Amino acid sequence: MDQLTASLVFVAFLFVLLGSGVWVGLSLIGVAYVGIELIAGRASGGAMINIIWGASSSWTLTALPLFIWMGEILFRTRLSEDMFKGLSPWLGRLPGGLVHTNIVGCTVFAAVSGSSAATLTTVGRMSIPELRKREYPEHLVIGTLAGAATLGLMIPPSLMFIVYGVTINESIRELFIAGTIPGLVLASLFMLYVGGYALISKKWNPVADKPMNIGQKLWNSRFLLPVIALIVLVIGSMYAGIATATEAAAFGVIGALVLAAAQGSLTLHAFKESLMGAVRTSAMIALILAGAAFLSLAMGYTGLPRALADSIATLELSRFELLMALLVFYIVLGCFLDGISSIVLTMAIVEPMIRDAGIDVIWFGVFVTVVIEMAQITPPIGFNLFVMQGLTKHSMGYIAKAALPMFAIMVVMAFLLIAFPEMATWLPDVLRPNPNG
Amino acid sequence: MPPTIRRALDVLYTACGAIAAVAIVAIVLLILTQVAARMFAFPFRGGAQYAGYAMATASFFGFAYALQHGAHIRVSLLLTALGRHRFWGEVWCYGFSTIVAIWFAWQACLFTYQTWRFKDVSQGLDATPLWIPQMAMAIGSVVLAIAFVDNLITLLTTGKPVVDEGGLEDSAPTSVADVHAKRGE
Repeated sequence: MDQLTASLVFVAFLFVLLGSGVWVGLSLIGVAYVGIELIAGRASGGAMINIIWGASSSWTLTALPLFIWMGEILFRTRLSEDMFKGLSPWLGRLPGGLVHTNIVGCTVFAAVSGSSAATLTTVGRMSIPELRKREYPEHLVIGTLAGAATLGLMIPPSLMFIVYGVTINESIRELFIAGTIPGLVLASLFMLYVGGYALISKKWNPVADKPMNIGQKLWNSRFLLPVIALIVLVIGSMYAGIATATEAAAFGVIGALVLAAAQGSLTLHAFKESLMGAVRTSAMIALILAGAAFLSLAMGYTGLPRALADSIATLELSRFELLMALLVFYIVLGCFLDGISSIVLTMAIVEPMIRDAGIDVIWFGVFVTVVIEMAQITPPIGFNLFVMQGLTKHSMGYIAKAALPMFAIMVVMAFLLIAFPEMATWLPDVLRPNPNG
Repeated sequence: MPPTIRRALDVLYTACGAIAAVAIVAIVLLILTQVAARMFAFPFRGGAQYAGYAMATASFFGFAYALQHGAHIRVSLLLTALGRHRFWGEVWCYGFSTIVAIWFAWQACLFTYQTWRFKDVSQGLDATPLWIPQMAMAIGSVVLAIAFVDNLITLLTTGKPVVDEGGLEDSAPTSVADVHAKRGE
């Protein structure tokens, strides 16, 4: 079979399997089998099991179940109530008022949680009823929450960065550090939008809370101490260079358990539920990663990534044009596939392309995460839309429309990242433990 | 399917889930021990390898358990669009996956058997005979294959798989994992 036909068969088979509803991990294994046995004409069994064993028993991957478990534990605490009480006195006077608690709440919670679903459910459970009570515009409440919750993927710890780092074999700690500033910039853009909307809108008339004096505000801030302590423990230990991502995750689990115990929400039942939840989510991601490891091997056999990278190179796209093509590609892919699957599925092909183009892979991790964040709030299968639907009972279309401005802000963010790559590369450079290494 | 077999299989999946849970706790303990070893300078070799084995155990034992709870991701747009013909789509999905899972389980067992025969030992500081942690992969993938056969048979005989795949719309999520589980719906 010549290269072109082989590639077409390979990709077509992948789409048929994924599209027809076969589980992502198993689809990848099936496609890889076809790639090696039928296209490259070799036996695949031994190679498959070797690479899957290696990928599944890797030390770097252990951060994944731990951060998931941490999120599950915190989900069962009163952390969101506390955050709302601590944040609202400070944010109530800003233009846009308490809608900012959505954004700041998500940003803070994202710093102790790795997924946007955990962020959305935990913050939304508290802020949606409180904001409704004060008659804030519903679409703004829903939209900002759906958008800001995606910061869970960008602000460390982030499951997306773990998956990306494991897939392309780069330091997870470095990715975590790289995501911080872009995450904060994105949060600020959301806040600017809310402030601007409040100033321009003529119907803006929410119920204001009783103003507090500075002493009361500070006293209320005590509710923020537990979450701040957790952030210092998890992110601080990584920044200070005293812990790897995995070790920070283990600290985080212990910290979350202590916090839950201190609040009295750590019953045996809650402990078991949180742990079994972590088993399910981590097995789900592990199956995809196992399939993806085999698929990358198969792609290597078929020579497809190299050929594609070479043919892209002959197009002589500028770096900007390549990034634009990838931006569109991932947005479209994100409409049909969840973020983790879209990353692991494509990295075998995209990685040689971006390395050839001289694009920093850590920076690209941040860039692609912004795009994956957009995919979380685009129909038909934007993940956050489903979660939001479960929380609010609004229709998918309504939520997607409410989140549209956030989508636009993320597009702006992607361009800002291209214009100012230092946002992602500066902090890792500064915090690299051994500058000579 | 006779109720005793049904119950036995459900117990099997739950037991595997419990083993996976223990493995996750083990990862935390191993990593904390490793940090303590570094701080107080007592010898603890191969912690990273052991954590890796626990990771593999958590994953492979978790696969079947996650499947029974509908946690594995799939793109169900087409299946939903099939409407009353969804049954045939599901037969294809479960049928194909059963074949892949059985092939995978076979390869995993063969691999572990060879590691045992040739007495392969870990390259790391732990020098563990590798067949021991690989047993987790062998057993876990066999149970996953059993789970798929179970679902396929149940699907063909009753028209519905065992897997619980309710929509997220019906109820607010009670666990972050449930939210993950429904992302493909």
